Amino acid sequence: MNEQHLFAITALFDTPEEIVHAAQEASKAGYTRFDVNTPYPVHGMDKAMRLKPSRIGVFALVFGLLGVFSAVGFMTWVTLVNYPLVIGGKPFWSWPAFVPIAFEVTVILASVLTVVTMIVLYFRFPNNAHPLHDTPYMKRVSSDKFGINIQADDPKFDEKEIRAFLGRIGGKEISPIYFDAEEFEHGQKLFDPKFLGVLAVTALVVSAMTYVVFNKVLYMEPFSWMSAQEKLKAQQPSELFKDGIGMRPPVEGTVARGFLPYAFKGKPDEAGRFLANPLLSTKEVLERGKSRYMTFCSPCHGNFGRGDSRLQGQFPNPPTLHSDKVRNWPDGNIYHVMTDGQNIMPSYATQISKDDRWAIVQYIRVLQRAQNAKESDLK
Amino acid sequence: MGLRRELPERVTRLAWILLILGVVLYGAGYLLDAKRAAFNNVVGFLFLASVAGGAIFLIALEYLAGAVWSVPMRRATEFLAALTLVVPLLAVPLLFHLHDLFHWTHGEAVAAEKVLAGKAPYLDIDFFIIRFAAVFLVWNFFYFLFVRNSTKQDSTRDPKLTTNNVRLAAVFMPVFAITVTLTVVDWAMSLEPNWYSTILGVYYFSGTVLAALSAATYAIIKFHENGYLPNLRRDHFYSLGALLFAFINFWAYIAFSQFLLIWYANLPEETFWFIKRWKEGWEYVSILLIIVHFVVPYFALLTQDSKMDTKRLKLMSIWILFAHLLDLYWLVMPTYGEGIPFGWMEIGFPILLVGLALVVLSYKVKRNNMIPVGDPKLERGLSFHL
Amino acid sequence: MSTAVIDYTREVPVVEGRPKASELDATIAAPLDQFPSRAWWIAFSVTLLLLTIGAVCVGLTIYKGLGLWGVNQPVSWGFDIVNFVFWIGIGHAGTLISAILFLLRQRWRTGIARFAEAMTIFAVMCAGIFPLLHTGRPWLPMYLTPYPNQHSLWVNFTSPLVWDVFAVTTYFTVSLVFWYLGLIPDLASLRDRTTSKIKKLIYSVFSLGWRHSNRHWQHYERAYLILAGFATPLVLSVHTIVSFDFAVSVIPGWHTTIFPPYFVAGAVFSGFAMVQNVLIFVRQAFNLKHIITLDHLEKMNKVMIVTGSMVGYAYAMEFFIAWYSGNQFEQFVFLNRALGPYAWAYWTMVTCNVVFPQLFWFKKIRRSIPVMFAIGILVNVGMWFERFVIVVTSLSRDFLPSSWGHYVPTMYDVGILLGSFGLFFTLILIFVRVLPVVSISEVKAAVEGAQPTHD
Repeated sequence: MNEQHLFAITALFDTPEEIVHAAQEASKAGYTRFDVNTPYPVHGMDKAMRLKPSRIGVFALVFGLLGVFSAVGFMTWVTLVNYPLVIGGKPFWSWPAFVPIAFEVTVILASVLTVVTMIVLYFRFPNNAHPLHDTPYMKRVSSDKFGINIQADDPKFDEKEIRAFLGRIGGKEISPIYFDAEEFEHGQKLFDPKFLGVLAVTALVVSAMTYVVFNKVLYMEPFSWMSAQEKLKAQQPSELFKDGIGMRPPVEGTVARGFLPYAFKGKPDEAGRFLANPLLSTKEVLERGKSRYMTFCSPCHGNFGRGDSRLQGQFPNPPTLHSDKVRNWPDGNIYHVMTDGQNIMPSYATQISKDDRWAIVQYIRVLQRAQNAKESDLK
Repeated sequence: MGLRRELPERVTRLAWILLILGVVLYGAGYLLDAKRAAFNNVVGFLFLASVAGGAIFLIALEYLAGAVWSVPMRRATEFLAALTLVVPLLAVPLLFHLHDLFHWTHGEAVAAEKVLAGKAPYLDIDFFIIRFAAVFLVWNFFYFLFVRNSTKQDSTRDPKLTTNNVRLAAVFMPVFAITVTLTVVDWAMSLEPNWYSTILGVYYFSGTVLAALSAATYAIIKFHENGYLPNLRRDHFYSLGALLFAFINFWAYIAFSQFLLIWYANLPEETFWFIKRWKEGWEYVSILLIIVHFVVPYFALLTQDSKMDTKRLKLMSIWILFAHLLDLYWLVMPTYGEGIPFGWMEIGFPILLVGLALVVLSYKVKRNNMIPVGDPKLERGLSFHL
Repeated sequence: MSTAVIDYTREVPVVEGRPKASELDATIAAPLDQFPSRAWWIAFSVTLLLLTIGAVCVGLTIYKGLGLWGVNQPVSWGFDIVNFVFWIGIGHAGTLISAILFLLRQRWRTGIARFAEAMTIFAVMCAGIFPLLHTGRPWLPMYLTPYPNQHSLWVNFTSPLVWDVFAVTTYFTVSLVFWYLGLIPDLASLRDRTTSKIKKLIYSVFSLGWRHSNRHWQHYERAYLILAGFATPLVLSVHTIVSFDFAVSVIPGWHTTIFPPYFVAGAVFSGFAMVQNVLIFVRQAFNLKHIITLDHLEKMNKVMIVTGSMVGYAYAMEFFIAWYSGNQFEQFVFLNRALGPYAWAYWTMVTCNVVFPQLFWFKKIRRSIPVMFAIGILVNVGMWFERFVIVVTSLSRDFLPSSWGHYVPTMYDVGILLGSFGLFFTLILIFVRVLPVVSISEVKAAVEGAQPTHD
């Protein structure tokens, strides 16, 4: 491509006063597609170029509000809806405790996203393919000169007129800038293939690293020390013992907590003599006794202790609990039958706790009194 | 320049009317319900003390920081600082009603409670009065020195006076920190003698700066609009607006920190103070305080333009002064213990404060230059651009 | 007593002399083009040595566990948290200089802001090591963040330790972005003056193609202002949240409402001491005395006395209220600090933080390089000990005497502390050779005559 496309005519100035004046004149002359390049921002330039005030603050406000609402919203959802926990005795939704995080999220979103917006949206950076790059003009304005460039696509562009104009206002080293041939064809796309390629490679690398770290490295020593411990877990085999089983039965003579051996095994009379009901006939005890009785005893003994259960014919019926014998038995005897079993009634010691057995005894007494009620009971 | 003028007749007249009306209202209040009057008096005293002390602080700050933009406006702040002479008078009726205000003055109750008896060396009437006197003696001492140097400079134009004031300001700052802390500890914190908070001094300080800054901003803009301070620009006002915005945020930060720590640790010996301000209607006052003292001024002064807009600044100055009054009311009144007092006393007593301020202003304006004509930084201050 | 009368009618120039813009380019970019001097190599080997010691101790700690440290019950926080708070505090000076002094229009910040911001970033990096290590399983750092997981568990949003995660992350990120934003124009200038092709490529990439266009400067300046406006409350919030780690508890000596502003003031205090110390070397080594002037150092010393006084005020207030409260545990804490087993640390702290900085009331001392350097070192020592006193004394002796215990740091604790200094100064030494330590564009704008005169 031998054709050179003109981008702009540039001129350099030595002092900030001159460049401000130049910008004012350019605006006055009606040029719009022009720009000023200075090594640092010069006061009054925005007004001289008749630039509209920057509205980037709006983005900061929007991102900031986004930060506040998303942070507070998320924390609210976690603590009220998803996984409410009582922490330190405070209510589920403790808004004072949300303030610090909400503030930080506001600041980080507002700051970072505003800068990213400015770079990507406003400046359309990164862009190292602009015609001004790598020109003597750029080298000077990067260092110690102030420059103005009037672009070829300005509606009032006329090369001779502009050269004259720039000369008039004191511009030095008036020179043209051309598009780089390749860059002119390319243009500036947001979805540049090189950029997309870099994104894809980055995504691939990050995914691979994430996979390797979380699925491989964390299972390697020493990171696996907490999860892969040397202790024996249930159902694991062991080489220490001859039978190869890790779980061992308790040693002969060991007594589990709450399971002291029954002192009166096989001795109903002594049970009746020495055991006393530790529970009083309170409403709670009786309700408990009733519920346990209905669960465990009523299938054989019937709902009212008469021995007329619904198992009639399928299982031998027990004798009635309202016989004189049982009514005259001390509580301990009844307790003994539940604990040790009697005839074909098995021991219920493993199904019913000691307290519950005593409660059932109290309930049986109630049943007995109910079945043999006297007139005086009604008073 | 130079300008020695008087405030318009109608303003001076209004000032005296408000002052006399205020005194009458105070008198009536004490006659009809001394306890309630005393509590309102404490609020008013703390309010005007913060305007006066804060004004001295702002003067000292300008000298210490070498600020240039505020020099043309410094006289207005000096006039406000003259209130330092008058504020102790506001406390005189209080000295006769200490028993109505402070539980720790009730000897038997104190002797019965070990914790209170332990504080008795500090919470002792004589020592209390000595501290009060010392604070205002010190404030007046510094006020006189600052203003004498500043006024003398009008005629001598001696830059050494600025250097003297800079050194004076450096000494004043730590002294101010201590005296402002003593003021709030003695007059507000000891109302609840079982309660304590190490940050209360900083809290009152933030309100103090806001009060003085708002009063000064309002006065300066009014002076400017009526030709007393003609050479001011948006650039000058921007700094006032920015400082107001910054200290609104600072106040909120201190207030919230104090609340968060006490709420979080949940110690009954501390939380009762906040719980008192969340029961029996006080919760509405607390919420109102947050909205009035933080939310509204924050958004009203957020943008750069709003900080330079004199109409906005005038409105927000008055608003923030009211917010500070509300803050002190919230700080003091729950101890009064009989609901949320809101009647002719609460509305009427601040009239005395306004009257006092205007009378003092009127007096000072008549006798002093509006601008520190001899200040070596004046030229730079007048030509100040953002 | 200085006999020279200050001329209040003139603004003291931020940059001495009236160096031309091209001279500034040459001066500031010089270290980037030159091979490092012998002094630099000696310094670098010292810092690398410290860094290596630290790295070894960190590696062993990760491998063998926190048992290598001196922490125990009841003193479960020792050097780890002391160092964390110390380094975060150091970082605060940088943000204050670049953001707060910018908002206050203190143009003397121009020569020192870039360096101070870099120090912030490096200090936060050093600080971050400690919370990570002290969890005991530093390879599971994501547990500190709220991400959806198969346990259906979230972090405890109401815990100040989690607030720290957000605060320090935000602080690091925003400081980095702010610093980078300021670097963009300088990287562009470097791109345009370098002759090395590799450097040109790197500068081009990182300057994003900046063209010094005023249409861009306009938005850039507004964004810079907005970032400064956010960074200011951010820096206050970060050390406030760090103070919340202690103050939300019920431990006597920790639970006191003044902690937030007290910690912030203390952070600025120690940070400025560190910045002042390092800048004394930098301005000498890189011929920047006309850009980082004695006036600037004097101003920094003034900031130190202001913030040091705030710290002193907080000490006095804590002490007074401890007595006033009548709370015997609180009262004991202060007696214990002054007279108990760690009294040596307490009195070091008081001497270094309250006594010696008072010398800065005198102008001659404020303008004496050797004395201010010494005071700066003492302030850093004192502020480290302040955190030590706060953390260790309150933990070692709180409510129940039967639970009292003693804390002795192990050599691994000390090694990691040394390593953190090694990391910090190594990063600084690399920074000064790779990037301009002064903001070229800002300094050019601050020279007398750089801006058009107002009509």
